[in-house]
Amino acid sequence: MSIMKSALLICLLLLVANGCDSKPTTPENNDFPTGNLQIICPWGAGGGTDRISRYFAEQLKERLGVNCVVVNRTGGSGAVGHRAGAEAKPDGNTIAMITAELSTMHQLGITDITYRDYTPLIQMNGDPAAIMVNADSEYEDLDAFLAAVKQTPGELKMSGTATGGTWDLARVGLFQKAGLTKDDVTWVPTKGSAESIQMLLGGHLDAVCCSLPEAALQLNGGQLKAIAVMAKDRDSAFDDVPTAIEQGVEWSSIGWRGFATQVDTPADTANILRTTLTDIANSEAFRDFMRVQGFQIDVKSGEEFTTFLERQDNQWKEVLEHYVSQ
Amino acid sequence: MLELFEAIPSLLSLHILVPWLLAMVFGVFVGSTPGLTATMAVALIVPFSYQLDKEAALAMVIGVSFTAIFAGDIPATFLRIPGTPASAAATLDAHELAKNGRGRQALLVNLLCSALGGVGGVILLIYLSPALAKVAVGFGAFDYFWLCLLGLILGVSVSSGRRPNLGLLAAALGFAFAMIGRDPLTNQERFTFGFSALEEGVSFIPAMIGLFGMSEVFRAVCKIEAHPPDRITAGPFRPIRSLGLVLRHFPTFLQSLLTGTLVGALPGAGADVAAWGAYGISEKTSPKESDNFGKGEWKGVIAPTSANNAAVAAAWIPALVFGIPGDAVTAIVLGVFLVYDITPGVELFSSGQGSFIFAIALVTQLLLIPAGLLGIQFFSQLVRLPRGMVLTSVVVFSVVGAFAMNNSMVDVWVMFAFGLLGLRLENAKVPLAPLILGMILGPKVEVYLRQGLIAANGDVSAIVASVVSMVMSIMFILTVLLTLSRQLVRKKDEVI
Repeated sequence: MSIMKSALLICLLLLVANGCDSKPTTPENNDFPTGNLQIICPWGAGGGTDRISRYFAEQLKERLGVNCVVVNRTGGSGAVGHRAGAEAKPDGNTIAMITAELSTMHQLGITDITYRDYTPLIQMNGDPAAIMVNADSEYEDLDAFLAAVKQTPGELKMSGTATGGTWDLARVGLFQKAGLTKDDVTWVPTKGSAESIQMLLGGHLDAVCCSLPEAALQLNGGQLKAIAVMAKDRDSAFDDVPTAIEQGVEWSSIGWRGFATQVDTPADTANILRTTLTDIANSEAFRDFMRVQGFQIDVKSGEEFTTFLERQDNQWKEVLEHYVSQ
Repeated sequence: MLELFEAIPSLLSLHILVPWLLAMVFGVFVGSTPGLTATMAVALIVPFSYQLDKEAALAMVIGVSFTAIFAGDIPATFLRIPGTPASAAATLDAHELAKNGRGRQALLVNLLCSALGGVGGVILLIYLSPALAKVAVGFGAFDYFWLCLLGLILGVSVSSGRRPNLGLLAAALGFAFAMIGRDPLTNQERFTFGFSALEEGVSFIPAMIGLFGMSEVFRAVCKIEAHPPDRITAGPFRPIRSLGLVLRHFPTFLQSLLTGTLVGALPGAGADVAAWGAYGISEKTSPKESDNFGKGEWKGVIAPTSANNAAVAAAWIPALVFGIPGDAVTAIVLGVFLVYDITPGVELFSSGQGSFIFAIALVTQLLLIPAGLLGIQFFSQLVRLPRGMVLTSVVVFSVVGAFAMNNSMVDVWVMFAFGLLGLRLENAKVPLAPLILGMILGPKVEVYLRQGLIAANGDVSAIVASVVSMVMSIMFILTVLLTLSRQLVRKKDEVI
């Protein structure tokens, strides 16, 4: 008897753990979705990209009536997960989370995957890069900081991500527009913004480049101050932070997130996904979720998103031609 | 502190306690399934918690986050499949005890140490946070480098007994496996030989499950054991005697609690470094029992299990003071805090919200005992089955666990390959634990060394520039000398 019980309990446990409560319902006359969906997230569990993926997974489950799981495929600054998303079976059941690295990785020789290896669905988020220093730092604005960089080439230390990551390239682009080179500061490679902010607070770095929401707690807590945001307009949540353009450097750089599916996914399947995802991204609940998490909403769907991806590739091509040869 | 005690009664109403306890039972069961991690358990419970009011939701999420490490120790003890990296340290002695029919007692001791370690960790968190947080952010790359190297050598030294050369060999092997995949700092591919399956590297959980769990099955199938026991008995249920054991080894507990808190407060270290460090320190400070470590020594159960739960509590120090999450679990819980407008910062510690969270964290440690007991009793039933069925369930757990990490079959093959490797290595008397340590800490050692050297513009003398680095490098050298002298003693014994 106890054997039967144990076996039953194990089965139950595994069912619960895997959440196999799929309800095969068909919301559209197209029979998609037929099975469970998965979102491949190229970044680790607990991070911003993962949290957004999990929010959409919940919503997709509710709206399409099938289960949706988030699978984190991490490594290589997103290269691993982006490949897994692009090369999954093109039946619409696998949705790829794609992030800003997609526009730069292939130009750095890290991967051969580009935006052309996907059917882009929607972009839902975009956060500009910003430069942060300690609250008691002597650098009050971008001019002062760039002047110090120019005076002591290679002396100052910065971080925000791995070498060649989005925030590293954002500051390289800024430096190029300001007449400096990438090696004028020492970029200390880290796992990401959390580790970099910790190093900045501990006095191991002079400045950090990452998005404003990633440092929101420390900015609002008065431990850090932002000296420039690399966007065309100021961020409404941080409207005291001037843009780089206001301070005379014509440069903007955005860390974006979006969803895509494989190139060979049938068009009507991709359309169902695109419509559902767009509905979710335009909902009131999503706005609340993003406000609490501190992320900016930036929704681009279909053609508009594809054009944006093309422009991003071109913007980075210019910067990276110098980066690789330097 | 007064506010803290005032906050506790408000938590003790049914509409909070019931979901809280249920969530923790859920956490124990998810955590005790190898391959399903604490991060997953917390991520799964978060959407549920939003259906409830604030108090119950926070209690559920915090509760689950504290169950995970103990839960991972259950299959580690009975089946030798560690559920989490931090559990690997407790596997060594606890599984030996289980083989001698004292598995249930080992887990009871473990549960008490986890709960007490957690209570100690939370109390230290309340009082020492601002000071410890300042120390923690002061830790530079080279300080972390030495800390991880010290944890590595302590672990290797304890777990390889009188054969430190074989232990070092295993650690080097683990280090080599960890090198496969993308370079963590520059993202170039290393040792993948063009196979895209290797791009992610050798996943460490499947490797650990294979090395420890699957290799046991292979050994049984190959009939290598001389006298295989027909079944492991879980052993008697003796809570009072277990409490006695913990009290008898109270100094070990206290020492591990402090080690766990100090190491856990460093956002770059974590519960695994804490567990191995405490295990190593307790061996080095108990010369009488040191030969018994790895063979079923109670101190070998008490030290890592008290340290890792204290470390989980201490991981909240940098998270609550600066808003810097040290690991994925802390990051998710921090996200939940933000939803309820709980903002990290020094002010939190003197606010009502702060005492509310700390009250939850304290009561959670007490609730861990009933939730954990349920898990122990359930697994004790499982191992009472005939050995053939237990081994079959080890195979099922191992395959499911390896697959569940990334939903990838590659990981299942990795698991089987490491099972065979484990079998071969144990036959050659090479200890397995150092290999796992090499895989966990090797990459950390590498990254911190390279980070430090880049930041110092290649100046090698910077490696011992800070006081912390200097002290830890001396401790490292002493540990190496102590370990090597043991090798010489063994040689002399053999000559005689």
